[in-house]
Amino acid sequence: MSDRDVPDGPTASGYAVELRDVVKRYPGGGDEPVVALDSVDFAVRPGEFVAVVGPSGSGKSTLLNVLGLLDDPTSGQRLLDGTDVTSLSVGERTQARKESIGFVFQDFHLLPTLTAVENVALPTAFDPGDASDRAAELLARFGLGERLDHEPTELSGGQKQRVAIARSLINEPAVLLADEPTGNLDTETGESILGEFERVKSEGVAVIAVTHDPLVEEYADRVVDLTDGVLTGGIPEDDADDSPGPTPDADDDARRSGRVRRGGRQTATTDAGGER
Amino acid sequence: MSRDGSAGRSDGLAGWLRGWGPAVSMASRNLRRNRVRTVLAVLGVCIGVLAVAALGIFGNVLALGADDAIGDIGTQVVVSPNNDAGVESLSDADVASIRRAVDGPAVVPLYSDSATVARQGDQTFATVYGVEEPALAYEAAEGRLPERHRQGAILGAGIAEDLSAGAGDTVEIAGSQVRVIAVLVESQTFSPVAPDDAVFLPESAFSADGYAQALVVSDSGAEARAAADAIREAVNAREERVDLFELAALVDEINEFFDLLSTFLLGLGAISLVVAGVSILNVMLMSTVERRQEIGVMRAVGVTRRDVLRVLLAEAGLIGAAGAAAGTLLTVLLVAGLVIATPAVDAALVIDRTNAYYLLLALVFGVGVGIVSGAYPAWKAANERPVEALRS
Repeated sequence: MSDRDVPDGPTASGYAVELRDVVKRYPGGGDEPVVALDSVDFAVRPGEFVAVVGPSGSGKSTLLNVLGLLDDPTSGQRLLDGTDVTSLSVGERTQARKESIGFVFQDFHLLPTLTAVENVALPTAFDPGDASDRAAELLARFGLGERLDHEPTELSGGQKQRVAIARSLINEPAVLLADEPTGNLDTETGESILGEFERVKSEGVAVIAVTHDPLVEEYADRVVDLTDGVLTGGIPEDDADDSPGPTPDADDDARRSGRVRRGGRQTATTDAGGER
Repeated sequence: MSRDGSAGRSDGLAGWLRGWGPAVSMASRNLRRNRVRTVLAVLGVCIGVLAVAALGIFGNVLALGADDAIGDIGTQVVVSPNNDAGVESLSDADVASIRRAVDGPAVVPLYSDSATVARQGDQTFATVYGVEEPALAYEAAEGRLPERHRQGAILGAGIAEDLSAGAGDTVEIAGSQVRVIAVLVESQTFSPVAPDDAVFLPESAFSADGYAQALVVSDSGAEARAAADAIREAVNAREERVDLFELAALVDEINEFFDLLSTFLLGLGAISLVVAGVSILNVMLMSTVERRQEIGVMRAVGVTRRDVLRVLLAEAGLIGAAGAAAGTLLTVLLVAGLVIATPAVDAALVIDRTNAYYLLLALVFGVGVGIVSGAYPAWKAANERPVEALRS
């Protein structure tokens, strides 16, 4: 019983982002390379909110970097909006990041010399045309309409993270990648930030958050676990039966009201929950 | 730089220029973050530019002053018979061929002798020249130089002073009384034919069968050199009949020396500019290391390497430009102050057009040093992988 429609999520034929059999190895200190990602299959639909959990050093950051085109996989295939983006030149990767990927970091990573609205417009700062109107609009949507010309030092943590989310959306990305988005926020602010993620995904953006915060897991449509480079539940379960078109928001009401774990519907969630 | 941001934005020069607007804006804000450091770097460039511009101008003023002082040394060529070849004097034919060869400059042949010159108890030993057209080579300070020298004596400034003689007085030259018709202006030049301590008489006073020397008087050093070359070619073609004394070559050497001095002074200034460059390099390296994460974030959210490079180059360029502008202004003030404080310096030499060239040179150098020293840190920061930069 979905209380709101996901605009294009379910109707989209493919995934917003997908990894196929991706391996990432780093040259280690010894002879043996460190395997950060081990045959990872991962796919996220547009409008889906996926939380990636797992112990420290399990490869979560690597996963995010590979998904975000900051790092290339050693082997395997990477698709963005159905396009193969496994091996791009540096320039192409930069362009693809700007057009299709939004980043939200634990430390917000706003540029201290720029105002809120300039930070939001940063990805397009060097492009023709002025994006400040759209940036102001985005900030207003996140309740910061009064703080457009404030510098980051004049903003609270929650406000900074909202600016960061607005920045990640300036180019209407297909995927929003969040690295511990609530890590530096108190519970209440964290919840409101997660509320913003709900709105973002309702616009058809695939949201992937790497987290240690149980709160994030509560908001996620799907929780996948990454331990020692092995990802469990990377592919939505109903796709195993070849039935694309998930209903990620099915339990929204229940989850909202009671903050209950979404058990049963997706094994990954159960697994992840079980390990904790 | 591969194809950073090629899609939809590499529309030629306009697109390239547009990117500098936000880059300079960001750069100036970044520079304001650490004002003390920025000001110190600017000061370094300022001093470097001051050194280059001021020393350059000092050298140039020295050279211009020397040029002014040695003045027309270089415009006179003295032709003498070549004693080594057995030529004792210059014949009329020699003088005629010299006249034909030089085409333009006046040729003034001279007889030469020496005699005691006396007046009212003072007496001195002087060179006596016989000259027909003194007005071609000399100027009178007193009296008038005749077109054709028929009678009377023309005194050099030095002799006139020694004997306290002026135009209209009578002096005794080699025993006979001669009226002084003119006194020459004091000579500024250095020449084997030294008019200051000489007396000029009409040619008729001499009974020699040839001229001792011939003066070739030109308007410029270049003309004098051309005349000397022409004489060598025409008169000395078959045998070395004449010796040439030309000061144009000497003037060239003096000029060369001052060029060397200017270069040396510029080099001294350049050293301080290099030091300023190193300080910019240091500032930019420190600031890019400190802002490593920020640069990583810019790259992660889709700012191209080229644009990151632009921001950082703009920072270094702004430091260089600010320092260069301040240094140029300081130089102008310093030089103006020196001119006012030192009456010996001729203001006309200082406002010479060539000095502006040194100012411009220093200005360009200042900005250039900024950009060159900023290039390595900027390139390094722009090319760092965002993954690494974000990790720290």
